[in-house]
Amino acid sequence: MLRVSELALSYGANPVLEGVSLEVEEGECVSLVGPSGSGKSTVLRAVIGLQAPAAGKVALNIDRSEIGFLFQDDALLPWRGAAENVALGLRLRGMPRASALARAEEWLARVGLEGLGERFPRELSGGQRKRVALAQVLALEPKLLLMDEPFSALDAITRARLSQDLLRFIEARRMSVLLVTHDLEEALAFSDVVYLLSRGPKARIAGQYPVPIPRPRDVIKARTHPQFGPLLERIWQNLQHEVVGKTEAKEEALWGEFSTGL
Amino acid sequence: MGRILDRPLTRQLIAFAILVAFWEYAARAGWVNPLYVPAPSKIGAALVTLFASGSIWPHLGATFAAALGGLALGLAVGVILGAAAAMLPIIAELLQPLMILLNAVPRVVLAPLFVIWLGIGIAAKVALSFILVAVLVFFTVFTGIRQVDRRLVERVVTLGGGRATLLREVYMPSVMAWVLGNLKVAVGFAFTGAVVGEFVAATKGLGYLLSFAQSTYNAALMLALVLLIMVFVLLIFALSEQLERRLLRWRGDQT
Repeated sequence: MLRVSELALSYGANPVLEGVSLEVEEGECVSLVGPSGSGKSTVLRAVIGLQAPAAGKVALNIDRSEIGFLFQDDALLPWRGAAENVALGLRLRGMPRASALARAEEWLARVGLEGLGERFPRELSGGQRKRVALAQVLALEPKLLLMDEPFSALDAITRARLSQDLLRFIEARRMSVLLVTHDLEEALAFSDVVYLLSRGPKARIAGQYPVPIPRPRDVIKARTHPQFGPLLERIWQNLQHEVVGKTEAKEEALWGEFSTGL
Repeated sequence: MGRILDRPLTRQLIAFAILVAFWEYAARAGWVNPLYVPAPSKIGAALVTLFASGSIWPHLGATFAAALGGLALGLAVGVILGAAAAMLPIIAELLQPLMILLNAVPRVVLAPLFVIWLGIGIAAKVALSFILVAVLVFFTVFTGIRQVDRRLVERVVTLGGGRATLLREVYMPSVMAWVLGNLKVAVGFAFTGAVVGEFVAATKGLGYLLSFAQSTYNAALMLALVLLIMVFVLLIFALSEQLERRLLRWRGDQT
């Protein structure tokens, strides 16, 4: 589905990524974790083409229009109602306005926002806006879904419910996923493989961990699987060695972002 | 009774009535020179005369024509130049010094110049009104486009939108919001331009009447005209507010 090989990228004179390689197979969920500022999001932006790589390759066996990108924030067009926002992508694929709006309403219902299609983004809560953004992306029925810390701005309960809904959906459609997150538990609960990105600048892949938890999964129950704890522990250890071991003094700042314990 | 007094509008009206009554009394009792501060009843009478004789209409027409003409032209040119400068760096490079200069000086100082160039007809007033509005709108549109939410642009691009879609779905609505948000200021500027232009040199218009009232020491007429201009500008403010509220419904009630 997606193969990133030896990807290098810099913002101006500042190198961000150096030699990042990873793969997402058909129907596979892959997570990319790493410290903040390491360039996790940049990898996604290079895959969708918002950022041009300096070296390396992004190989896809699908068209870019078949990729869905769920952003970290829930910025929707403020002057368009929820249904219009969802319909935009469909209309850009040539669907007539009326049928695009009807399809949009179906998707809003599917993400739990039935009858809220007329609402403007400011009339929705943060969680609802996130659901609209989700419907906007899923309505295009992407083959590959890229997600950039999609739930980080939500409260714990909304987050658990939304990620469970999304996981069920991904599993039902056998969608391929590349998820960027700084939450190790979220990464483990979601994915088949977790990649660890080293600290930037010049970040690279510092580890690759298969997650042997059977599907279909439940984001909460997955955490009680006997493999979950040891695997989390192992990634922690490696993170410590790979990322922080070299600069003990900065340990606090770097680790503050990761959620600890179960 | 106490409940009526709870409303701010009631209290404001009562205070206003007391002020006018005191003013009337002060004028009649000879506490102030009626030549400089005529009684409110005299101002009212001047207003009534203006309308009853029908002599006000050509003047009102002239001022409105100049102000609305300048507003329309200023909006059109301001939007086009602002958009061009925001999207083509070379245009911004060439226009910015001029715009900064025009923005730095009080633009009404150009009034006498326009009289020399364009004569004492309506053209000079439209030009002054236009230059006041156009510079304001230029900066509004220029910064509006520059400050378009990058996240929305990226969102539309990842959904498959090209330049035309970006223009229609992101840039135009953003710019429209900025322009409408400044519409009231633009209307005020348009009338300032028209009236000042007429004040400098004209044969009709509210500004011309003002200048005429000044030369004849007719304070009652002057105050009546000021009142009239206020009323009309407030009326147009209310209209722009309606328009703004309708078109910017998505933004809700934020002032």
